[in-house]
Amino acid sequence: MDIRRVAVLGAGRLGRGIAETAAGKGYDVVLFSQGAGGADAVARIEKSLDRKLAKWGITESEKRLILGRISYTQDLRELSNADLLIEATLDHMHIKRELLQTADQLCRPEVVFISASSTKKVTDLANEISRGDMLVGLHFIPPVPDVAVAELVRGARTGDHAVEVAKAFAQRLGKTVVEIAESSGLVNPRTLVAMINEAAYLVDEGVCEAADVDLILKSSWGMKQGPLEMADRLGLDLVLNWMEQLQMTFGPRYAPCPILRRYIREGRLGVKTRLGFLAYSEDDAVLTDDEGDKED
Amino acid sequence: MNIFVLNCGSSSLKYKLYAMENEQVLAEGRVERIGQENAIITHQSTGKEKVSNTMPILEHTVAIRECLNLLTHAEHGVIKNVNEIDAVGHRVVHGGESFSDSVLINERTKEILDSLAELAPLHNPANVTGIRAAEKIMPKTPQVAVFDTAFHSTIPPHAFLYAIPYSVYQRHKVRRYGFHGTSHKYVSQRAAEMMGRDIADLKIISCHLGNGASIAAIEGGKSVDTSMGFTPLEGLMMGTRSGDIDPGAIFYIMKKEGLSLHEIDSMLNKHSGLYGIAGVSDMRDIEKGIEEDDKLAKVAFNIYEYRIRKYIGSYVAAMNGVDAIVFTAGIGENTPALRTKLISHLPYLGISMNEENNKKRGEDIEISTPDSKVKVFVIPTDEELVIARDTASLTS
Repeated sequence: MDIRRVAVLGAGRLGRGIAETAAGKGYDVVLFSQGAGGADAVARIEKSLDRKLAKWGITESEKRLILGRISYTQDLRELSNADLLIEATLDHMHIKRELLQTADQLCRPEVVFISASSTKKVTDLANEISRGDMLVGLHFIPPVPDVAVAELVRGARTGDHAVEVAKAFAQRLGKTVVEIAESSGLVNPRTLVAMINEAAYLVDEGVCEAADVDLILKSSWGMKQGPLEMADRLGLDLVLNWMEQLQMTFGPRYAPCPILRRYIREGRLGVKTRLGFLAYSEDDAVLTDDEGDKED
Repeated sequence: MNIFVLNCGSSSLKYKLYAMENEQVLAEGRVERIGQENAIITHQSTGKEKVSNTMPILEHTVAIRECLNLLTHAEHGVIKNVNEIDAVGHRVVHGGESFSDSVLINERTKEILDSLAELAPLHNPANVTGIRAAEKIMPKTPQVAVFDTAFHSTIPPHAFLYAIPYSVYQRHKVRRYGFHGTSHKYVSQRAAEMMGRDIADLKIISCHLGNGASIAAIEGGKSVDTSMGFTPLEGLMMGTRSGDIDPGAIFYIMKKEGLSLHEIDSMLNKHSGLYGIAGVSDMRDIEKGIEEDDKLAKVAFNIYEYRIRKYIGSYVAAMNGVDAIVFTAGIGENTPALRTKLISHLPYLGISMNEENNKKRGEDIEISTPDSKVKVFVIPTDEELVIARDTASLTS
């Protein structure tokens, strides 16, 4: 089947990133979210495109073309027109179960399902739907338009056809697909949260400031962002959620650093609240120390 | 002998059907938005009404089939059966170092073309898609590839090598290839015909000035240098491309603006040139801006003219003289003010302009006076005809 319309369930950072990337490669994208929280999803994608435009990464007409290919809805009935479904909702089993089961009923039987979940196993999700052999795990890494790799996972029932469809889709998005064995947390979240957690401990213990942790690691290892900026951009609530999920599977080595819970209690969720480990401007740029102090 | 010429892009294609006995265009058309539900196919057979249809065309095979349906259509067509097409000529942008001339396509050719995709990622894969689609529909009809780069394969090493470690050329074939070869070849041959001289005795500078622009030094009918290089980004100022820029400036801009490779690539290819200076990429808008006393439109026009003038001067030096200068493509054919300004800046060449002829459009015309030391021509390019000629010559 020729894939032209892609449905993305979940209008968070991951879902929006997948939508923006897919639309940039010519797919028509319908972005769904259950609550009204996703209503500004298209506006946020436009903001992301404006940042690219300001850096000459795209042209004004390319921006209009990409936005023209993305629509947002809360009406799941539109899933009946989708050629491919991507689930990128919060990593809560009950949310995923409910949405996937609804989608299973609404989508045409030949439609392949992709789960972008990083901590929920494809095998477990597949057990919730009738098309278990058509579900494949494909984890994109935010910011999705910029990261050139995706992790692919087969569940116990995943068929070769679903894998081929998912691979071809990811490759058309310009991603190198690396297939790994099924494991909660895959490669990225598992290693990333471990690094974030250790960096958080350095701050919590007063070893150095957050900006200095990031500066040392960035300069040492050629990273574009330090782990604490990465955490802020992911959202500290999401990082905590990942750690809690991984702690359930792997035990105390994923116990979150207390500073994470403290920041979340204080409403410091990262870029989306303009303050996390670091402070951020309205256009999501990291503020310098002096500017950050004013924000704090 | 009927030759079907195909120019396939990633989401569009253009075609012409020629009767080669008199090089007459029997029909032509284009398909836009391939891959979408609302693709548009426009077709016109010579002497008949133009037709335009909107329909779902999801891939190139379907697009080519639809073109052939129109060519064989009882009312709109010009042939009764697809078998009346004797050969198909394909425009292929990049032939790398593998192809110095047009070739009959076989399995080996396609393998090499696939391997060249890296050199022209935006164009070659689409060209090859067109070849495979045409073969699928017309498996017994010979197919020929005509390369934009082939005409420049005669450029000598001192002109095609960059002064960077030689191992980079050996490993990755980084060198000047040049583009618009089919156009430079056509207009230089036509200029020689108009002069009534053997091209082997002539030194010609041809200026292909479209949205993409390049200039070529052609000595004895062979390209000896051209302004586009490893990619179509080098050389003249273009609609949205920068043309020549100090590579050191690129690193500096990347650092100061925090740009990725993709962003600097996009900046130089899509946000620069006329557009980068004046905010519009179309020369007609630049001319309108000049009429309205727009300062940046004037600056853009002046840079555009100056860059061409510099290249003409350098190619006069490279060939130790010039007999004719030819202007072609959208801007080259339709901007008399640019030609006037350019020529007025080249008094040392002894060119005398025929201003009346310079104002004429849409025909092959000499715009220099009979006593001019260097002849100047405006010749509308016809790349499809070159493709058709090469295809006919390889298959007849």
